[in-house]
Amino acid sequence: MKLNTKDLISAAILIGFAVVGLWLNTDHTMGTARRMGPGYMPFLGFAILLGLGVIVLILGLFNGPDPIEKWTGAEIGFLLAGAAAGTAAGLVASKVGGWPSAGWNSLGIGMFVGCLVPSIIKSWRPLFLISAAFALFGLILEPLGLMLAIALSVILSAFADETHTPKGVAGLVAFLCVLCWAVFIYELDIRVPVWPQF
Amino acid sequence: MDLIANLGHGFGVALTLNNLLFCLIGCIIGTAIGVLPGIGPVATISLLLPITFGQPATTAIIMLAGIYYGAQYGGSTTAILLNLPGEVSSVVTTLEGYKMARRGRAGAALSIAALGSFFAGSVATILVAASGPLLTQVALSFGPADYFSLMFLGLIISAVLAQGSVVKSIGMVVFGVSLGMVGTDVQTGQQRFTFGIPELSDGVGFVSIAMGMFGIAEIILNLERPEARSVMSGKVGSLMMTREEFRRSIPAVLRGTTVGSLLGILPGGGAALASFGSYMMERKVSKGRHEFGTGAIEGVAGPEAANNAASQTSFIPLLTLGIPANAVMALMVGALIIQGIQPGPRMVEAQPDLFWGLIASMWVGNLMLLVINLPMIGVWVKLLAVPYRHMYPSIMIFCAIGVYSLQNNVFDVYQTVVFGIFGYLCSKLRLEAAPMLIGFVLGPMMEEHLRRAMLLSRGDPMVFLERPISATMLGIAAIALIAMLLPNVRKGKDSALAEGG
Repeated sequence: MKLNTKDLISAAILIGFAVVGLWLNTDHTMGTARRMGPGYMPFLGFAILLGLGVIVLILGLFNGPDPIEKWTGAEIGFLLAGAAAGTAAGLVASKVGGWPSAGWNSLGIGMFVGCLVPSIIKSWRPLFLISAAFALFGLILEPLGLMLAIALSVILSAFADETHTPKGVAGLVAFLCVLCWAVFIYELDIRVPVWPQF
Repeated sequence: MDLIANLGHGFGVALTLNNLLFCLIGCIIGTAIGVLPGIGPVATISLLLPITFGQPATTAIIMLAGIYYGAQYGGSTTAILLNLPGEVSSVVTTLEGYKMARRGRAGAALSIAALGSFFAGSVATILVAASGPLLTQVALSFGPADYFSLMFLGLIISAVLAQGSVVKSIGMVVFGVSLGMVGTDVQTGQQRFTFGIPELSDGVGFVSIAMGMFGIAEIILNLERPEARSVMSGKVGSLMMTREEFRRSIPAVLRGTTVGSLLGILPGGGAALASFGSYMMERKVSKGRHEFGTGAIEGVAGPEAANNAASQTSFIPLLTLGIPANAVMALMVGALIIQGIQPGPRMVEAQPDLFWGLIASMWVGNLMLLVINLPMIGVWVKLLAVPYRHMYPSIMIFCAIGVYSLQNNVFDVYQTVVFGIFGYLCSKLRLEAAPMLIGFVLGPMMEEHLRRAMLLSRGDPMVFLERPISATMLGIAAIALIAMLLPNVRKGKDSALAEGG
């Protein structure tokens, strides 16, 4: 057997989406071919997706080998830890009341923590530190304003690249703050808090 | 004579101060990202989509279009001088262009790239202007069944021409279509797959998908790869071509323009495919083919003309049929819809300013690019001195602010994170993101046309085979699919794409 790992995982993703989609779609009326209900087209779509997923799966058993990069134990461990910590943080945040549970903040907190934990491992940093910085931006934009959001998420994302120097990052933050103020606040006048709200 | 009157109207629109300014901004940004590797037109356009909302639709589209064809100009500069393709579409330019630079003929290569692009751009402009109203007439006779089949054909071809496994690409197309079903059902008002999240009732954020899968995922992938930038070889030299070089370039540019225009119109086609197609052609038929590999000027002139022609003719299916030919055009659809314009055959009639203004602006933009690129080439090369570690936080911040400003909602920011991670995963698994984006844009339209077609036919699916237009489209789609199953064709495509990047 020449297993094509990439194709097998792809197939799993496609089939997974298809099955979940088909299951969720049972809520929607199908209607008839003449008068299609809201569930008709999604049913067609997910059914075809399921079929394609199965084809990819079968082909993946033979057209390999195409292995993915092996994950080390630490990488897997911290990935799982991140998923667990993120879920826990999100759930806790949604329960405590106040700011953490308002709006989408609990989702953002969960995402931020979940992405931050795996970034302890260096090889995960590009992926998860960028994601964490992005989530952090969403978290602090409304309460603390644009300037702090830019500063903090740029500083966090800077750890994803080792060639950064503290001076360079500071310069970058200053440059981006000025640029974003000029483009988004002065020129485009988007409705976003610029400074912390008290 | 209508054509001239219409073009005149278009130039009237394109030459207003505001539109000229945004055309220039688009061309400059386009050239810049064309020069810089690591950020392409798809990411840039999705990044700048939110910024354009404050502008009238025509101005917004003029600027976004400028980015796309501007990138084709900029991409050739680094390809020739540094053996570093700034865009996928200039990969083949490195083959002959860099060799020419090593021989001290960099200036000539840059000149022919810019002049060839300008010529091709002018021809493509006329082509779009002439074929637009013509195709629109045809398109107006299309019934819902024909539309459905046409979109189906577009999706199949975009999957077939994508890199890698066809089945996986079709899978991504269907996944995109299914993702497009999220939100409120147009006919019954029922919420589908929204999990009770009000933010999803308008559907998954189009900009979030594009930014996540092309912007954020791209940053992450670039960060994983160590930076590799070669030093510029020698001087640019004289920009003047010798008489011999000029004479040899003319047929190559003409062929490149033809190939590029045709491949651009094709669904799933676009600049990258066109430049590669032209390179293959030049290697086979040009007079200087024995010089290929040592710096033949035909190998620069042809592909560069082709990619610019294609980047403009790929607007034809969008402007006349409302069907995006590639991921960039899918973004244009998104931009138009957000501006409240439904792309389709009625656009020429209903939005003459947009249609003719855009066409005229393409020519104006090409002229600007000629000026921006040739005399100022040194400025653009200096841009490469900006290290990636300063670029990625900037791209990230612009993405974040842009996506937030869409609806002033942080939910969109978190959505983008999810698609960023998903996009990274897809690229690791060689699942193509571009077909998915096209599927996502076309999905809701396909559903509407399918419903209408079936209602009109009283539930008889044979309608798709009985209408000649529809049957032809489905026939072509079937042929394209079967052709991919033949091992010879598939091998040809794989090696072609592997070489073409």
